[in-house]
Amino acid sequence: MDARQDGRRGARRDDPRLVPGWVAIIACLGALALAIVGPEAAAQPKPPATADDDSADAAEDAEEGDAEEDAEGEKGAHPPPGGYRSGLHPMPDDAEVPLAWMPPGTSATPIPSDEIYPPQTLTIRFNHKKHVKGLKQTCKSCHAGAYTSGAVTDRLLPSPAQTCDNCHDVDHSDITQVKAGTNENGQCVYCHIGDDAGSGGKVAPLVLPHANLRFPHQKHVSRNIKCSQCHGRVDRLELATREQLPRMAGCFSCHNMSGAAQGDAKSDCDVCHLTRPDGRLMTEFATGDLLPPRWLHNAGHTPDWLERHKQVAANDSAFCGTCHTTNYCTDCHDGKIRPRDVHPNDFLSMHAQAARQDNPRCVSCHQEQTFCADCHRRTGVARDAPSAARPSGRRFHPPPAEWTTAPRSAKHHAWEAERNLNACVSCHTERDCATCHATRGVSGGQGLNPHPLGFESKCKTAFSRNPRPCLVCHQSSDSFLQRCQ
Amino acid sequence: MASPWGATNIERRRLLQTLGLAVYNLQGDSVPGEADYSATVRLRLDADFGVNGHLEGAQQGGETDYSVAGGSRYIPGLREAPLDLMYAYVEGRNVASGWLGFRVGRQYVSDVLGWWSFDGALLRVTTPYYVQIEAYGGLEQRGGLPLSTSRFEQQGIWRGNHRGFGDDRTLPGSAADYPSYQEAQIAPAFGVALESAGPSFVHGRLTYRRVYNMGPSITRQFPDRDGNVQTTDGSRISQDRLGYAADVNVPAIGGLKGGVTYDLYNQLVGSFFGGLEVYAGSRVTLGADVDYFVPTFDADSIWNWFTHDPITTITGRAAVDITREVDVAASGGTRMWIAEGNPEEFGAGQCRAAQLGPDCVGTTTLDPSSDSDLEDYARDEENRATTITTDVLANLAGRYRTRTTSVELRGMLQTGERGRRTGADLSGERRLSGQRYALGARVSLYNWADPLRPDRDATSFGYVLGAGYRPGEFADFKLEWEHDMNRLVGQRFRVVGLVNLRVAP
Repeated sequence: MDARQDGRRGARRDDPRLVPGWVAIIACLGALALAIVGPEAAAQPKPPATADDDSADAAEDAEEGDAEEDAEGEKGAHPPPGGYRSGLHPMPDDAEVPLAWMPPGTSATPIPSDEIYPPQTLTIRFNHKKHVKGLKQTCKSCHAGAYTSGAVTDRLLPSPAQTCDNCHDVDHSDITQVKAGTNENGQCVYCHIGDDAGSGGKVAPLVLPHANLRFPHQKHVSRNIKCSQCHGRVDRLELATREQLPRMAGCFSCHNMSGAAQGDAKSDCDVCHLTRPDGRLMTEFATGDLLPPRWLHNAGHTPDWLERHKQVAANDSAFCGTCHTTNYCTDCHDGKIRPRDVHPNDFLSMHAQAARQDNPRCVSCHQEQTFCADCHRRTGVARDAPSAARPSGRRFHPPPAEWTTAPRSAKHHAWEAERNLNACVSCHTERDCATCHATRGVSGGQGLNPHPLGFESKCKTAFSRNPRPCLVCHQSSDSFLQRCQ
Repeated sequence: MASPWGATNIERRRLLQTLGLAVYNLQGDSVPGEADYSATVRLRLDADFGVNGHLEGAQQGGETDYSVAGGSRYIPGLREAPLDLMYAYVEGRNVASGWLGFRVGRQYVSDVLGWWSFDGALLRVTTPYYVQIEAYGGLEQRGGLPLSTSRFEQQGIWRGNHRGFGDDRTLPGSAADYPSYQEAQIAPAFGVALESAGPSFVHGRLTYRRVYNMGPSITRQFPDRDGNVQTTDGSRISQDRLGYAADVNVPAIGGLKGGVTYDLYNQLVGSFFGGLEVYAGSRVTLGADVDYFVPTFDADSIWNWFTHDPITTITGRAAVDITREVDVAASGGTRMWIAEGNPEEFGAGQCRAAQLGPDCVGTTTLDPSSDSDLEDYARDEENRATTITTDVLANLAGRYRTRTTSVELRGMLQTGERGRRTGADLSGERRLSGQRYALGARVSLYNWADPLRPDRDATSFGYVLGAGYRPGEFADFKLEWEHDMNRLVGQRFRVVGLVNLRVAP
């Protein structure tokens, strides 16, 4: 089987199953309650250990499907007409593997990540179910290496000379001169698949790239974690594919501890993921770019991620920092070079309208009194622009009768200020506003009260913590001010 | 660059340079989970040779030199080539068996209180009991101080260095020249945060930050008869805010996230956001979001106490992974603007209060500050009932991505009483010869309308062509040509060159 077949099976599990909105909302709220109860409640259910209880299930399954292979072995040295049918897929006739037999986390991530588990080319047919249940072999019988492995680069497949040849009528002791026996189960084509497998003593290469992870099998085995807890019920399957490799959502069943937890399974990304010298995750692989799944802090990097990312970064910026450098953030958020995804080509011409509509929000990247107003002063837009830059007889806003004076029209600046005060601040200084809104007399204003209703209930506290803004418009002897002292 | 009235009046010729140095694994070999030390620094020179570039003769150099042309072109704080230290810190992680982490130097803090920078120290204590505690203190990065920018200050106060203008440009200038331009002073700051650590399905961070303004500050904006300005002095609050954000996820079902900030100085909820995501199958994600934001300012600013109201945005969204290479996302919703009073009727009410006919709006001028009836009318709660104006929002984004090719579409619509902005960008990049070469292109078409300034309505078309070359990990080069056109400015051109050099990738 090749990677394309892998993809087809994954795609089946991947088919959309639309849930009515109200069901989803109730389910989500229920999940929230579960999450509050405790980590164990919301985590992926841990599959039961199967070392002992597998035997009972095995009995019910062992009979079905094995008869064919038993018969195969007793036939002559030739494959049956139409070729062998078992061991080519996880399930007979390439049926879908029940979710319960899949690794934990499969419901959240139906298809294994190509970046973590690069696609494989499987040129072997192998019936795990027959070997485990029918022939009473254990996982260790063939994968003994997994019990001592400390790295994903270790070879965990059985050595054919030391394992396969014990039962199959073949001699792999010299891999360049494999000698097939007379029994059918010793013929190359009995296990090796592909065009002309075995002809000329050659078989198609088996391509099993190692995972792009740090994973010590030995550490897990030594903690009495059973194979099926991570790989699902391989004992019930025929061919094991990369779909039986663990999913991150399943890993989090145990990996839920902080970096300070000694001896426990930590959730820090670099516990499992490969890192660069600066400690950040490696994200670029030959098979694609590693991106977070949608269920991890809602951080799925969807096409609209630019609009959504602030909610995730606001909650857990360290999570962003596991992959992104500081420079990645400052490139946009320190406001020096215009990022085109945020501000498209002719943003300079339309930014005034964008600012009025608060989209995008200017203050998330720019300090208005400098970044915005400096340019507005240079172009003569700002009211305190230098005298020689100020165009005579020109007015940015609607005429005073609409914009400034009472009675207020629908275009009066008061409404604009109330709706989006930041738009005003991007051009105006305090002096501009104080011209009218400061109290009369030495404060230099016209006494037009700009305060909101209910202001008096807050002003005492505010004045005690910072009297400066009050003193811009009020004299210290001002009776209004004294009410706030 | 053209002014709103058409004439090209400033130029931009920018040369932005950054120089970064980072040294990792100071302790030796890196072992995941073990103590790790690093040091990193990045300097930036943001030169704009267009500053002063349009000034000639007697005005030459006038934008940055107060002594030229009597200061008639001078803009306080504007510099041709500001140099700033973006960050420079020593960091330790997983110290003391994972219990401690620290950073010392100029650094960023990013959380629900915003993206912020300070000079100082941060200490993080991680416990095995699902929580970590963070404390930091130092000085906020402020414009006008050496090697600093104003990017991380609260909004509303124009700060900088007064040296360089006034009667003698070698001495601090007269404050009366620009009373709104405050002399930058050091700003002590500290913060603490309590954050969850460990579980992947839930995360929360409770955060608090306080910053002080120090030193003299001009208050009254108009000099007295003797040309003196009034000032206030001493330490006072600049910002004092509390925030909390959290998310909860169940991998096969969906997630919930939210956050809120409370401004203790303004005594109000400054912002909150919330989002619900439902995973409708493995390829479809449905969601709903709300965002609430009230502009708040540095506590030195008068604008905190001007009547202003929140902006609330509610959207629904759907994202679909069509294939591994193709995905799309669409969202739509509304943005609501609030005003205290009915803009359509308030003026007529003022006319009636002034004993004039209800149609006096625009035909006469009233003085509310000297007419008690008008003042009473403006302060009457009945006349300040909340009115809501809405905009309709829609976004569509899609992309096709492989290892060598990417094509992205971003379209947006925002329309309502406050105007309209609509348009889309289509961009693509093709990488060749093992990513050694890259070709890129982008086209944009946008249309906008501003009801306050109908003469500024326009449709713009623009395109970008670019090419890149990456000889190896140590360098990459990129050159882009941008051409925009609309009726307001005619043709606008921009050339962007990018050079990245790495000594040890």
